[in-house]
Formats: sequence, structure tokens, C-alpha cells
Amino acid sequence: MTTPIKTVISQKILKKEVLEGDLCTGCGACVGLCPYQVIYHDRTVQLHTCDLENGKCYDFCPRTSTDLNELRNMLFDAGDLTPETGAVKGYYFSRATDRQLREDAQHGGTVTALMELALFEGLIDSAIVSARDQEFVQNGVVVKDEAALRKNAGSKFTVSPTVAAFNRLAATKEAGKIGVVATPCQALALAKMKLKAVKEDRGKIDQLKLVIGLYCGWAFAAQKFKELMGQNDIELESIAGMDIPAGKNSLEIYTGNGTKSFPLSDAQACIRSACNYCLDSTAEYADISVGAARFGDSWEEMRHWNQMIVRTGKGRNLIELAIKRGVLEVRNAPAESLRQLKNVAGEKKKEALKNIIRKSGSAKNLLYLDRHDPVVRRFLAK
Amino acid sequence: MLVTAGYYVTIGETFGMSQRGGSVMSHLRISRESVLSPQIPQGRADIIVGLEPAEALRVLTRYGNPDVVVLINSRVVYPIGVITGELSYPSLSEIESIFKELTAHSWLIDATIAAVELGNPVLSNIVMIGALAKTALLPICRRAFEKEIARNMAADKCEINLRAFDAGAGMIENIVD
Amino acid sequence: MSKLLSPARTQVLFMGNEAIARGALEAGLNVAAGYPGTPSSEIIESLAHVARERKLYVEWSTNEKVALEVAAAASFAGLRSMCVMKQNGVNVASDFLLHLTASGTRGGLVLVTCEDPGALSSVNEGESRYFARMLEIPLLEPSSFQEAKDLTKWAFELSEAIGNVVMLRSVTRMSHASGNVICGKLPAKSRRAKFDYDGPVMDSRTGPMISTPVVAKHTLHQKKLKGVEVLFEKSPFNRYAGPAKPQLLIITSSVCFLYSQEAIKMLGLHKKVGILKLGCTWPLPPALLKKHLLKTDKILIVEEVLSFLEENVKVLAAGMLKQMGSKIFYGKIDGSLPSVGELNPDIVAAALGKIMKVKRKSLPADYTRKLQKAAALVPVREQTFCAGCPHRASFWNIHNAIALDGRKGFVCGDIGCYSMAALSPATGYHTMPTLHSMGSGTGLASGFAKLAAFGFDKPILTVCGDSTFYHAVIPALINAQHNRADITFIVLDNAGTAMTGFQPHPGLPTSALKETVPAVDIAAICAAIGAKVMISDPFDLETTSKILTSFLEDKGSVKVLILRQACALSPEKKGKKKFNVKVNDALCLGESCGCNRLCTRIFRCPALIWDRIKKKALVDEVICAGCGVCASICPQKAILKTEATV
Ligand SMILES: Cc1cc2nc3c(=O)[nH]c(=O)nc-3n(C[C@H](O)[C@H](O)[C@H](O)COP(=O)(O)OP(=O)(O)OC[C@H]3O[C@@H](n4cnc5c(N)ncnc54)[C@H](O)[C@@H]3O)c2cc1C
Ligand code: SF4
Ligand code: SF4
Ligand code: SF4
Ligand code: SF4
Repeated sequence: MTTPIKTVISQKILKKEVLEGDLCTGCGACVGLCPYQVIYHDRTVQLHTCDLENGKCYDFCPRTSTDLNELRNMLFDAGDLTPETGAVKGYYFSRATDRQLREDAQHGGTVTALMELALFEGLIDSAIVSARDQEFVQNGVVVKDEAALRKNAGSKFTVSPTVAAFNRLAATKEAGKIGVVATPCQALALAKMKLKAVKEDRGKIDQLKLVIGLYCGWAFAAQKFKELMGQNDIELESIAGMDIPAGKNSLEIYTGNGTKSFPLSDAQACIRSACNYCLDSTAEYADISVGAARFGDSWEEMRHWNQMIVRTGKGRNLIELAIKRGVLEVRNAPAESLRQLKNVAGEKKKEALKNIIRKSGSAKNLLYLDRHDPVVRRFLAK
Repeated sequence: MLVTAGYYVTIGETFGMSQRGGSVMSHLRISRESVLSPQIPQGRADIIVGLEPAEALRVLTRYGNPDVVVLINSRVVYPIGVITGELSYPSLSEIESIFKELTAHSWLIDATIAAVELGNPVLSNIVMIGALAKTALLPICRRAFEKEIARNMAADKCEINLRAFDAGAGMIENIVD
Repeated sequence: MSKLLSPARTQVLFMGNEAIARGALEAGLNVAAGYPGTPSSEIIESLAHVARERKLYVEWSTNEKVALEVAAAASFAGLRSMCVMKQNGVNVASDFLLHLTASGTRGGLVLVTCEDPGALSSVNEGESRYFARMLEIPLLEPSSFQEAKDLTKWAFELSEAIGNVVMLRSVTRMSHASGNVICGKLPAKSRRAKFDYDGPVMDSRTGPMISTPVVAKHTLHQKKLKGVEVLFEKSPFNRYAGPAKPQLLIITSSVCFLYSQEAIKMLGLHKKVGILKLGCTWPLPPALLKKHLLKTDKILIVEEVLSFLEENVKVLAAGMLKQMGSKIFYGKIDGSLPSVGELNPDIVAAALGKIMKVKRKSLPADYTRKLQKAAALVPVREQTFCAGCPHRASFWNIHNAIALDGRKGFVCGDIGCYSMAALSPATGYHTMPTLHSMGSGTGLASGFAKLAAFGFDKPILTVCGDSTFYHAVIPALINAQHNRADITFIVLDNAGTAMTGFQPHPGLPTSALKETVPAVDIAAICAAIGAKVMISDPFDLETTSKILTSFLEDKGSVKVLILRQACALSPEKKGKKKFNVKVNDALCLGESCGCNRLCTRIFRCPALIWDRIKKKALVDEVICAGCGVCASICPQKAILKTEATV
């Protein structure tokens, strides 16, 4: 059932519901809080048993039950809320004005440009982004300057325990102001922290000043992805980037010796199973969410643009500042684009709910979701 | 010392793995007539010397009788199960009152503190021997101890051992009547 | 002067093992070899101490079989030699022993086995008395400290009289107990070694030392054993004490004699029960047995652990049924006494009381009730690694690597202090589910690793101590490498055979006699086999954990990690702290979410205690060994370590 039984051991139930339930997104929200929960490669591991109740690991996990309505009310203006894509204050196309940044970034470099600006303007003291090491292990890293930000630009389609880096950094109350680049599950975890933090931890969590969300259809399980690369003789070290170009139905891997293309079905076989149960494709709990632009016909034309949803007042201010400082080129997006986005986002929600019901075996049991939540109700297949 | 004084002495010891944090017990038996078994029969101890309160209690519950006298180092060494929180350890006053009730006489002394004050907790055993000698329950005296120490220890260690012995003796005021 | 060399006729307090050593010295021992194992180790140790003065050669051998071979060589050369081991060591030596008893010996050769009924410091309570019967050699069992010395001395003469090995069996309660011994004379002369082999094949004094022709030599062997029976008939080590016509006859041996004596006294039965104490328990002297069995109809046989003596007595009695009529036997077989665990005066008294229908004087009921109430308050004291023990850190690393790997790997255990990881699972963080004989961990691991074809996909680890490595691991390791078993083999190198008291082993540059000798390098041996070898300090959690996780990922071969850190009780460390360690209360999270007492709840160093009032961790400075490992595990850096200035 969705309502957790009272007096349960947090770590144990997290294991049962999330880890063994194949719902773990690898976001890292339960990691870095204590010695028991760690991430190894992209697997969340419980090193030793803990017998506490009401622990943070359970409370912060984006795949344990939450009152999402309460969360939305806390973070957003009620008037901005949409069922498909969360709060929308504004919807734009954008790209970084710096040409080199656009080259280095995944698409338009909007995310990196915004983080650079926030750091430069002192809105944040540290940015947490995602880095990958030689062994292809991905981790959240704390960066404080432009060079480091740019080095870690570009999307890695494997899961990153980014929130663990936030936990470690925020462990002291003296961390300063923190901004995080987050996928939807990570953004949800960060939002849950604001809602659930106990009094003693408030000061730590309140250091979180900015969340830039990434659109996300799904992420790869590292092991499966590595196997796919291995079968195709692609050396992991040689991978410089990857994308799923609009309209091409394929996964492209950019390596030192050119681009390798895979049919989307190959890529989908590598999807982390937890992603099948995720309803969020636009990082609804961020201040600003950024994805690939989908307009026009030519991918070459689109690929260096982003689409962007501004969700909070804080997000709006940052965009305005970016325009004023000339780091971002922002256009109004056509209504058709938003309509398309909503369509796609709604489809993901429906699909995920179907998968959840298939897993739980009953439409009455939506695992971590509450079937009375208005958004959930809206997309539940009749 | 006792052998030379014409007694049959049997000391039963258990070591090996029980040395590693488990409970360890030695049985000392003294007889004028014949070699005794290295294990004391249940309920038949005359004296219990406990180096740890709960351990002394453990021994009492097996070998104790209304006539037994007990000398205990009051320094607690917690069993690992108590440290982890799975088990509980009786309070010192609880232990003390049990000994009061179930023995002919008992002394609880902090031999470890005395030894630490002398510079080395290892000396707590010697402190206990000093205390035991002072109780006059066994035919051991300071002179015999001095001789034994001189035989078994390097010269520079003798003095500190004697001081530990005396410290122990000093902790026993009331002698059994 | 060493107590072991006390002058003749003086009375001294000897530990059973010292008494055995003294007996050997009085017999003119030349060579002693053994493998350490509780409760046997003090024999070789105390002999090593006096080796120079007594012109002995004493060694710790790599294992019991080699020890027996070393001792046998001395015997072949006409010297008196002794070979010492614990009960299960006899199994290790048994293959050679089988052939040795067939070829015969020359100089007196005594095999001393110190056994451990009740497994007080073993993981078995194996009996080697059956080896004596199976391999047809005399068996002697001392039942007092004096006898431990005297029987040992006589064992050498007996061995020379029959030209074969004599087995002397002690038990923990004898070997590790102490009692009065009156010393005898130490011989002045030593023997010279000389080995003849040109004589006739059937002449074991001058011919080749081989077991063939088998049947002919076996016949001769059995003939000599018959001669032993004759000697045993008159032996002063077999004694009867008690009434001329007892209602019950106790037949017993070893320390059980002391228990029986005490039981009779406790029940006031000395006018009704007699004891036939046997010092020579195989082969049984038939005439002596007959004489005493005729005294009564009821016989209780008191022995540890199995019904060895009882069986042998019954076989003899069955053969004399006509002359003696039938008897009632009490013992292990009818359940009067348990055939597991050790005995003690109480158990024997209970059996005796039941047979004789007498009750023991008991304590006042009220007192007993109060004792029982008090007993309920005493917390169990579980065995654990010492404060500062490197094994705790090693298993911490192993546990974490297995957990991270996620495939539910496990450790095949082996014999040493680290066996504790299996004996009290929380101490080894629940990683070690198997524990058998020395070297078996590696053999089992080698086997488990080959089960992948049957769907068994788990990383297999195994551990062994440095001493165990030389003892029995090498063949298993070669097996794993040759058969491509994917195992992670961890050597817990704590620079000595810690469990039995720091005897040197082939990895150290010192011998039992404190001479400088070549150290045999484990890493080099493993590398020579072709395994991948790494060395780390288990206290360096970060490096060790990295190596281990990479080993578990690295599939397909034998990987060796040598974890090197001296035992906390080792002479060079004992009493010296590397770090002063204390807990900063302000930082300690205690029970709160974020730590939940990692150090006292999970890590379990006995020096880290939990202050129930302050709700903070606390270091007991008296117990703390100052290893500093806890400072590395505390998530809050609340445990502070500072370099100790000595
Ligand atoms: C797993 C994943 C799936 C995505 N799926 C879609 C999709 O379906 N549709 C869509 O429009 N867009 C998707 N995106 C977003 C898209 O790839 C771009 O990140 C986004 O358009 C922003 O582009 P940019 O040029 O501004 O980014 P950049 O300026 O290049 O910045 C990208 C930022 O993302 C961080 N990052 C990289 N990988 C990860 C990761 N795995 N987890 C967390 N942070 C990471 C980087 O450290 C960097 O800070 C996905 C991104 C990821 C990581
Ligand atoms: S987060 Fe808290 S409750 Fe969860 S495992 Fe860690 S200490 Fe235990
Ligand atoms: S989804 Fe995130 S918080 Fe939940 S178990 Fe997985 S890593 Fe931990
Ligand atoms: S591990 Fe550290 S924070 Fe946790 S209880 Fe121990 S000392 Fe305190
Ligand atoms: S330093 Fe820490 S781990 Fe080491 S013995 Fe002391 S309390 Fe135990």
C-alpha cells in the first residue's frame, strides 16, 4: 500500500520498497548522509544495517511516498501549475551566446551558461554537476569556476548520484550557497529534502539555492550500457559525447574516431528499469528546466538550441539577469512546441502509470505514488 | 610458594580462544593430602577472586556457596553485546548487593585505577594479589611475594610490582573475623 | 636457571606441558619438532628455551606431518626424539604415521598429542586415541602432573624396546593445568647420530627404513605389540585403589581419574567404589583387566570423549565371558556419561550418584534460587577480536568489498584467531560461513569457484593466516591457480602464530631457537605460482578497500592480497599505543540519523563503549590499543587520533 506502516525501520523498508523493488533511480539522495548507504558504480548499496525509524534515507528518496501536492504548493505558484509539465511561468527557446560553449555543451549550453552566471554573480558559491571518471563511474562533483563547469558540460546518459554530492557538501552548515544541475528524480529528491528536513538539518538544506533541471526520458544502467559499447568495440575512454537526435530514432555516440549510430531499440534495452516507473520528463521540481529544442526540420539547426521552462520566481530572475548580462539568447517558443511537449510528457506519465500497475498488480497500489493525487488521477488510464 | 610450603597445588586454566574477549577462569586448588582435579566442583569454591564484576558474578553463580568469600576488581569491562546495546549490564550497586547477600564476605576494590595511578593498568593483577594477601585467606605473605617477584622479574620491575602489591594491600581494611 | 632444569628430587609446580617436556629431558631427548596448536604449544616452547643447555635440536615445523618426519629422521639415526601436536595434527601426520609404524623406528620416538575435549580452544574435539589402535602403537595417558613427566620418560624406553612409535596423549585440563612434580635426574650424556641401512630388509636396526615387504613387516609389528601387552601388565602406571570387593569399579584414564576420585569423595563412596586407573590404555593388558573385573559386577568407564576405553574393555570382557560371567557396564554407550564435550567432577558425580543411588549434599534451596536469579543478570561475554586487532580491520574491508560488489560473495574461513569471524559472526561482519581444518578455506574456495557452470555466480574469497599458509594452503592455492578458479585469496599476515602465542613460522627470520634463518616470502611464492599479488595494510581502509573491490571485479584468476599488520598482542606492540584516541562529544552524532552508533553497534571494537547517559561513544583508554582505525570509520570525524608520544 502507498501509506507506509508506522514504526518501520527506514533502511529496511527502503531496501524492500525501492532497492529490491527495482525503483531505485541511483539519484544518490540516500547516500552521503551516513555510513550505511553508499553508491557503488550506479548501484545503491546498504553497507551495514541500520535500525532507525524516520531516517533521512527513506524520507529523501524520490521513490518513497510523498505528498506531491504539498510539495507543489510549497515550491510553486498555484496558477502556474499544469498537469503535464508542472509549474510553467514561462516557456522559451534559448542558447548560450558564447559559441565555444555551445560547441562544448550538449545542446545550446543553456545549463552551463546559467550555472556560470549564478557562480559569477555570487547567487551560489558552489555548483554541483555530473562528472565521469576513466572507469566510466559517474559522480556528482562540486565545482566553483567556469573551467570546471565547462569541462563537465554535455550529457552522460548513465545515471549520476548527483544528490549524494549535495548531501556531502551540505553536511556542514558552512557550505555556502549551492546550485545543482539535476535530472527529474534528483530534483524531486532535493525538493523532498526541503519538505522533510528535520529542524536540526534545516540550516543545511536551506543552503540549496538553485536547481536547474534537465529533461529526461530515461537513463541508462551503466552495466548494460558498457556491455553494449563493449559488443561494438567502442572504448569507453574514447566516448566524448552522445545524443538522441530529434527525428532520427537513433542513439549517436561521438568518439574520437567519429560518430557511431545505434538503433533506438538497442539503446532502450539499456534503460535502467527504475526509469520505467518515472512520471516526470521535465524536471518538474526545479527552478528552471532545460531540454533539447524540437522545432524546425533540420537537426543541425536545432541541436545548438534548448527549450526551457521557467518554474519559479527565482528562475525568472536568473533568466532576466542572463539576458541582461548577455550570456543567454532567449526566444519566445511557439505555442505548438509547448503543445507537443505536453503531449510527450503526458504520454510518459500514462506509460509509467501502466508500468507501475503492472508491477504492483493492482490499480489501487501505485507503489510510491498516491492514487488520489490530482496529476496521477488525471493520467491513470480509465 | 605453596609448593615449597608442602601443599599439593593444582591450577586449572583455560586459554586459547577464550583469551579473545570471552570469559576466562582459573581454578586454584590447594590440598595437604593429594592432587585435586583441575576443575572445582559446582558450589564448592572457598574464595573467588574476580578481575571483573560481572565475571565474578558469573563464577559465583556456578561455584558459589554461603561460605564463599569474594575479592573483586570493580573495573567494568563491557562485553561486546552490551556495547552494541543488545544486552544489558547490571549496575555495580546491584552486583554489590548480590555479593553482600550471597557470600560470607566480599571486597570490591578498584584495582585498575590503582594500577593506572602507578603507571600501567597491567599492574592491576599485582594489586589484586596484594589485596588477596592482606585478606589473609591464603598462606601468602609479602616476604614470599618479594622472593617470587625477585625470581621472575627483571630487577628494574621489582620495585613497581611491590608498590602495586602494597597498594592492593592498602585497599583491604576490614579483615574477616 | 630455567625451572624446567630444576635439580633432581626438588618439587616444583609444573604445567602439564612442562612436565611432559621435563620427562623428555630426563629421558635424554635429542630432537623435538612440532606445530603450534593449543593446548600443545608450551612443550616445544619450553624445550626451545633449554635447547642450548641441553644440546637439543628443537624446531617449529611447517606442519605436523613434517614435524613427525623430522622427529623420525632423528630416530632413524638412533637419537631420541619427540613430536608434538594437538589432536587434529595427528590427522595431518597420519599418512606418514601409517608408513612409519610399518617401517618401525630406532631411537625412542614419542608422539605427543594434546587433545581438547569440549573444544575449549579448537573447532573440533577430535580423538586420536583411535589412531593408536588403528595403527597398532602403544598409547599412554597420564593422569597427574607427576605422571605426565614419568610416563613421558618411560615412553622413550618403551619405544626403543619395541622399535616403534609410542603415542602419549594429554588433554587441555592436563596440559594447561599445573601441579606438583618431583623432578628426576637429567642425563649427562648426549647421543651421537648414526644411520645404517645396509643390513637385511627385515632388520629394522640396520636395514633400510621402509614399510615393505608389507605383510612380513606387519607380522613383526604385531608380534612386538603383543610384547607391549606384557609390559603393560606390570606397569606401575596402571593402578587400583579402593576396597577389595567394591560395589562398583571405575575404570578410567587421564584427567578423568582426578574427576572420578573427586566424585567418589563428594559422594562419600570410597568404601564402596574402587578405581582402576590406567596409564597404558592401548593395547589393554588382559590379565590385569581380568583381575580387576572379577572384583565386581558393575563397571563404570570414565573417559573423554568417545567410548574408546569402554569398547576395548568390553571386547576383552567378551572374550573372557566364560571365566567372568556377565557384567553391567556403565559409560558412554549406555548414556550414563555424555559422549560429547569434556567431563568434570560434577558430571562424573552425577553419573556415579545415579548408579549408586546416593544424593550429593546440595546447597540450601533458597540460596540456589537466588544464585539462579543472579545468573540471569550476567550478560553473555561473546568472543571477539581484541582491541586494535588487525583482523577486525581486515574483515571490515572484506565486508565492505563484498557488500559493494553486491553478488553476495562470501569468505571460506580457515583456522587461526580469525576463525572468530565464523564463530561469532557479527565479529566478522557476517562474511565467513565456512570453517574447517587448516588450509581448507582455500580448497573450498577453489571448489566453489568452479560452480559457475551450475549457475553459482558469487565472488569467492578465502582467508588464511601467515602460519596456516605454509601449513596447508600451498597445495590448495596451486590447485586454484592451475584449475583457473576465480578466487580472492587473502593472507592475514600478523607476523606470528598469534592464537597459540607467537611461535615463529617460516615467514619470519627467526627460528624456535632464536637463530636467524631465511624467511620464506609468501608474496614471492604466490607470484611464482602465477597469481596476481598485492600487499596492503588493513588499517589503511581506503587502499585496502580499493584493492579488494578491484579484485572482486577482476574475473578469471587467482588474486592474492596480503594484509600485513602485526597482532595487537604481539611483543613489539603490546602495551604501546601508536595513537591516543578520544571521542569529541560535540561532533559525535550517537544514535541520531546520520550515524546511529556505527562504531559501537557495528564496528564493535571492545575499547569503544557506549555512554548510555551522555548518549555518546567513549574510548576506554585502558583497553584501547591505539590502532586508530575507528578514527577512519567515524562518519563525523568525531573520533580524534593523535600520534602518541612514548
Ligand atoms: C540522462 C539524461 C536524459 C536526458 N533525456 C532528455 C530527453 O529525453 N529530452 C530532452 O530534451 N533532453 C534530455 N536530456 C537533457 C539534454 O541532454 C541536455 O542536458 C539539455 O538539453 C541541456 O543542454 P545544455 O546544452 O544546456 O547542457 P550543458 O550545458 O551541456 O549541461 C549539461 C549539464 O548536465 C549535467 N549532466 C550530464 N549528465 C548528467 C546526468 N546523467 N545526470 C545529471 N546531470 C548530468 C552536466 O554535468 C552539465 O552540467 C537528458 C539529459 C540526461 C542527463
Ligand atoms: S539515513 Fe539515517 S536511517 Fe537511513 S541508514 Fe542512514 S542513519 Fe540509518
Ligand atoms: S532512488 Fe535515490 S534515494 Fe532512492 S534508493 Fe535510489 S539512490 Fe537512494
Ligand atoms: S561513529 Fe563517530 S559519530 Fe558515530 S557514534 Fe561513533 S564516534 Fe559518534
Ligand atoms: S584506536 Fe579505536 S579501534 Fe583501535 S583499539 Fe582504540 S578504540 Fe579500538
